[in-house]
Amino acid sequence: MNTAVLEVRDLNLSIDSSNGPHQLLDGVSFSINAGETTGLVGESGCGKSMTALAILGVLPATGMTIRSAGIMLNGEDLTALNHAQRRRVLGQDISMVFQQPATALDPVFTLGQQIAATVHRHGISGRKACRQTMLESLELVGFSQPEKIAAAYPHELSGGMRQLSMIAMATVCKPAVLIADEPTTALDVSTQLMILQQLKRLQTEYKTAILLISHDLNIIRQCCHTVLVMYCGRLLESTDPESLFSHPRHPYSAGLLGCIPKLSATRPPPINAIAGQVPALTDLPPGCHFAPRCDRAIAQCRHTAPEPESDNGRTVACFRPMP
Amino acid sequence: MTSQRTHPAHPLLELRNLSISFRDRRQIAVDRVSFSVLKGQTLGLVGASGAGKSSVARAILRLVQADGGEILFKGEDIHRMKSQQLMAARQRIQIVFQEPSRSLSPKRTVAESLLEPLQHFAIGSPTERSRKVKKILLTVGLDHDVLHHYPHQFSTGQKQRIAIARALVTKPDLVIADEAVSSLDVSVQAQILQLIQTLQAEYGIAFLFISHDLAVIRQIADGVAVMYRGQLLEQAPADTFFSQPAHPYSRLLLSLASLDEPSPVLNHQQQLNPDGITNHRPSACVYSAGCAEVMPVCGQSEPARIEIKYKNQNMRGSHCVRCHLYDETNINET
Repeated sequence: MNTAVLEVRDLNLSIDSSNGPHQLLDGVSFSINAGETTGLVGESGCGKSMTALAILGVLPATGMTIRSAGIMLNGEDLTALNHAQRRRVLGQDISMVFQQPATALDPVFTLGQQIAATVHRHGISGRKACRQTMLESLELVGFSQPEKIAAAYPHELSGGMRQLSMIAMATVCKPAVLIADEPTTALDVSTQLMILQQLKRLQTEYKTAILLISHDLNIIRQCCHTVLVMYCGRLLESTDPESLFSHPRHPYSAGLLGCIPKLSATRPPPINAIAGQVPALTDLPPGCHFAPRCDRAIAQCRHTAPEPESDNGRTVACFRPMP
Repeated sequence: MTSQRTHPAHPLLELRNLSISFRDRRQIAVDRVSFSVLKGQTLGLVGASGAGKSSVARAILRLVQADGGEILFKGEDIHRMKSQQLMAARQRIQIVFQEPSRSLSPKRTVAESLLEPLQHFAIGSPTERSRKVKKILLTVGLDHDVLHHYPHQFSTGQKQRIAIARALVTKPDLVIADEAVSSLDVSVQAQILQLIQTLQAEYGIAFLFISHDLAVIRQIADGVAVMYRGQLLEQAPADTFFSQPAHPYSRLLLSLASLDEPSPVLNHQQQLNPDGITNHRPSACVYSAGCAEVMPVCGQSEPARIEIKYKNQNMRGSHCVRCHLYDETNINET
């Protein structure tokens, strides 16, 4: 089944400031097929969460402008929707799991009330039916006693349980697309695995397309069909995880991979970090944004931005890709 | 109390049966934990959240009171020290916390934050102090011109560098890193790990490195200790631990973290049951409820701490485990 449920075409996002607009996202294009997971990786401040918020059209600040050639969700252009139409789509056809469940959940309502509100908003009427759907969604993410969780307030649950409840809330309407923004960050290994297993299960059952945002490359490797590597609002490389891990083409992808500590039987050699840090949005270097930190950069990189080039299902934006 | 101990290898820090409890002893956070950290070495302390790792760290600094057991720093029990001795010991033990944005005061400049430990311990004259601060900033890879900046002007990685500089400025013998790289990006995490390894080689500082990430521990630690629900289940030299983990819980952690098995199959649902909180009975092994290799004896008696003996005893350090699997056979085939 290779139909794209979500197609993002040339997404640009800029924010106005006193010194003119700054580019947050620059020509981001990708698509996700039904039942597949696409990973979005990159360092903090590279525009990963902004991509998610721009797709949903729920941007945090005023003065932000989205320009795109369309964000197509099952053939419907999300950018053309008005406020009321968008409210119908969000939560129903496309939904999101946020990074910090502790802040994304409302502390004064029980989880049951919060999930039921989503159910009610999207057309199931009657308290009994709402409650039934709500309990089913909690059971579906693996809680053995959904009534207990439904009656609990967010602060009464552990981080992992909160995140599972968020997933239950996001998937209660069986959306076609689920955006998960760092769903496992700050959770320990076994909880991480549990969350990923549940996401995977929901995906196989309902053919959900997932956009998984993470800076943890190991998780991306385990869960994704496609990986997008983002830096300073641009996609630098997109490919399947196996070829990314065995042969990164973009020097930035290679740098990120080098940063992962290896779990080997013998003690690994000292780690190879990428020098420097992500430039500030107000101070983006000309040409390829990664050039100042790149050890393969040539003069051309510093004044011209390389265009993404596709070859064999793999897209790389680099003048001197890795061999 | 005499500081001369008869141990052949003099540990810098030694915990003996440390116990800590909260809420009038109703909640046991740390249960008879013993381990030692050698001079200039890194001990990685791993375990899931709530295993008691941070409580151990806090007890070493005497930020929480121990219920029982000893914490010997250079042979002296930290919890029996008089205030003068404690002050001297604390100068030699420093801590780096998980989130630099919370552990650095937003109202203080970098210079103020870094000078404070020196002033508190009355180290050097004012000129010497500011020289020391500038030197330590260079060591962690920051320029002097940041001295008068405030924490919010830095990125997370830079803030963590400042927190490390603050811990190092008194020239400690032991630094406790409590999940110091966990909230950082992979790229920044790599930079900080690189920094810690360089500093250790240069100054011979011992680290108690607390983390839930085994790959990070593999990168940095000489020895590994595993905690689960307040108890220490296994301690071993890093090479032994990563090649021959003994405790079923250690093996589970390793298989979860291992990349060779993209989707590890858990043979016991209990481990991943989100609301499976079981009450621990003191007469059973703490891990018996989640263990894949559970035996009848595990529910009846608590396993003792056993040292695994190897046929070729050329491995450095001892390998201790608390598990009934190792009751009868103390000899392992190697």
